[in-house]
Amino acid sequence: MSQVKKVWVLAEKTDALAQLCAGGRQLGEEVAALVWGSREEAEKAAAYGADKVYWLGSPDQGRMLEDYTTTIGELLKKEIPDLLLVQPSRRGKHMAGRLAAGLGTSVIVDAAEITIVQGDIQIKHMVYGGAAFREERAFGPTTITTVGPGVFSVPAEERGSHGEIVEVEFREPAVSVKCLEKKSKAGAEVNLNAAKRVLGVGRGFAEQADLKMAEELAGLIGAEVGCSRPIAEGVNWMARERYIGVSGAMLKPEIYFAVGISGQVQHMVGANQAKTIIAINKDKAAPIFQQADYGIVGDLYKILPVLSSLIKANR
Amino acid sequence: MNIIACYKVVPEEQDIVVLQDRSLSFARAEWKIGQYDLNAVEAGVRIAEDLGGRISALSVGAQPLENSKLKKGVLSRGPEELYLVVDSKLENADTHLTAQTLAAAIRKIGACDLILCGEGSGDLYAQQVGAQLGELLNLSCINGISKITLQDNTIIAERTLENEVEVLEIPLPAVISVTTDINLPRIPSMKNILAAGKKPVTQWDLSALELQQAENKTQVLSTLAPEQVERKQLILEGESEEVIQKLFENIRKELL
Ligand SMILES: Cc1cc2nc3c(=O)[nH]c(=O)nc-3n(C[C@H](O)[C@H](O)[C@H](O)COP(=O)(O)OP(=O)(O)OC[C@H]3O[C@@H](n4cnc5c(N)ncnc54)[C@H](O)[C@@H]3O)c2cc1C
Repeated sequence: MSQVKKVWVLAEKTDALAQLCAGGRQLGEEVAALVWGSREEAEKAAAYGADKVYWLGSPDQGRMLEDYTTTIGELLKKEIPDLLLVQPSRRGKHMAGRLAAGLGTSVIVDAAEITIVQGDIQIKHMVYGGAAFREERAFGPTTITTVGPGVFSVPAEERGSHGEIVEVEFREPAVSVKCLEKKSKAGAEVNLNAAKRVLGVGRGFAEQADLKMAEELAGLIGAEVGCSRPIAEGVNWMARERYIGVSGAMLKPEIYFAVGISGQVQHMVGANQAKTIIAINKDKAAPIFQQADYGIVGDLYKILPVLSSLIKANR
Repeated sequence: MNIIACYKVVPEEQDIVVLQDRSLSFARAEWKIGQYDLNAVEAGVRIAEDLGGRISALSVGAQPLENSKLKKGVLSRGPEELYLVVDSKLENADTHLTAQTLAAAIRKIGACDLILCGEGSGDLYAQQVGAQLGELLNLSCINGISKITLQDNTIIAERTLENEVEVLEIPLPAVISVTTDINLPRIPSMKNILAAGKKPVTQWDLSALELQQAENKTQVLSTLAPEQVERKQLILEGESEEVIQKLFENIRKELL
């Protein structure tokens, strides 16, 4: 595959940084990472395979990472990388947007595939709630894109490279927002993207307490529990981090087991990369059956307990 | 307090048809106000109601914006007036062109303390316009806001991130993108809808904003529905132990 010259990566979290560095290696001759924190953090980034680390230092108390937009923007204008890969978190998307506006360009978000065709960077990403993929390219010296999770995988062994560390001086932004406090969110530590098996629950469940039946089955087959959006954002039975789909988690599991889920496109784009899809739904006409490998048309309240006991008996 | 809430008019997603060649047809699509933007409008209206002030709505786009039902639709939710930038060049505007046009319109409207955007547009959901707009206007700017409290000349806000909630102090004027859990948008009454028809609407085109040269900064190469993955579709019917046993046999080697 052809490559561009300079790829830069920007991530808040180290695992995302490692992924983006690995992607940068595929796409560019030279990879540079923008890194916050201690000098150790910067050295770690060099070990992920960055040829150059722009070390931004540790933010002072109350200072937001967003305040570094001015500093990074000036660096981008000076060094003019061909491509900037950004972690697709809420903060990442916000910073990407502000950097792009500063450069007079646009951002392509949630890249599912990045290819370089005769020096042109072409990016595929989902549009219209999963109804289509759009291939797009950006004009301007630097293309900015946020990269969907799992697009690049981290190589098994670290390169242990000796990337150069460049200290960057902080530039005070003209305006800024102050962080007064941070509260951690309960139940937020799930990583559905990485789960091998996922059992999704939907509006087919009448009561929150009934989810126990699904949790039991999930436990028996070693699956993480996920859900459709109304379960997380309508009735709030589960944390938002657990909902699957275009505006939620995008999965790539071995098995996706959908229970009481209709299978609308906005949900299924998050699940249809699964190797095997199994569905339980009482409506024969539910769209999920068009997209399933195995399924049963029937009441989940009758089916789940029997299935769980069969699994227990045959283990 | 002068507030502007921005919104986008988008095709109803249920009406999008995938054609034989995997391209999309919008021929039969109705247009509507993006669902995430209703939260931005509601947030602005509530602040104006609670603290006094003036709220306007602003949208940029192509001809569907002129639809009188859509104009009434937004005005019936509380804004006192409406500004539209309608230009055929804005038909497939990317986030850059949209933000640039909004920024020019806001400068023309004049003094403004707070600009609200939805989390993302209902169609493309790029979540970019608020961030780009804030930067273009050189204002303090933030996304993911799920709660707003006003204090003197600043906003105390909660921002919901993946693993944490930040409590922020945002100096005004500011551009803020709000999440869907910030409020429940109101449903306008018949009276609101009738009153909406009498509220002032100002319409410009790109040349009125001296933006006739403005261009998209991205080029769309193709937009195609994904190829369907072949599935086995071994679907059973029934709830008897026998049928469930059969399902179990089907999936046993995958599960155990
Ligand atoms: C812009 C946009 C973005 C969206 N993003 C997402 C997203 O990211 N993720 C997402 O999930 N959704 C998303 N949605 C919503 C999505 O379109 C669907 O509305 C949602 O996925 C439906 O959830 P569900 O299948 O749980 O509920 P329903 O559609 O109500 O389906 C429930 C199903 O349960 C079955 N059922 C009922 N009782 C039983 C029983 N006793 N036994 C067995 N089966 C039973 C019914 O037959 C039905 O098929 C989005 C929508 C829009 C417009």
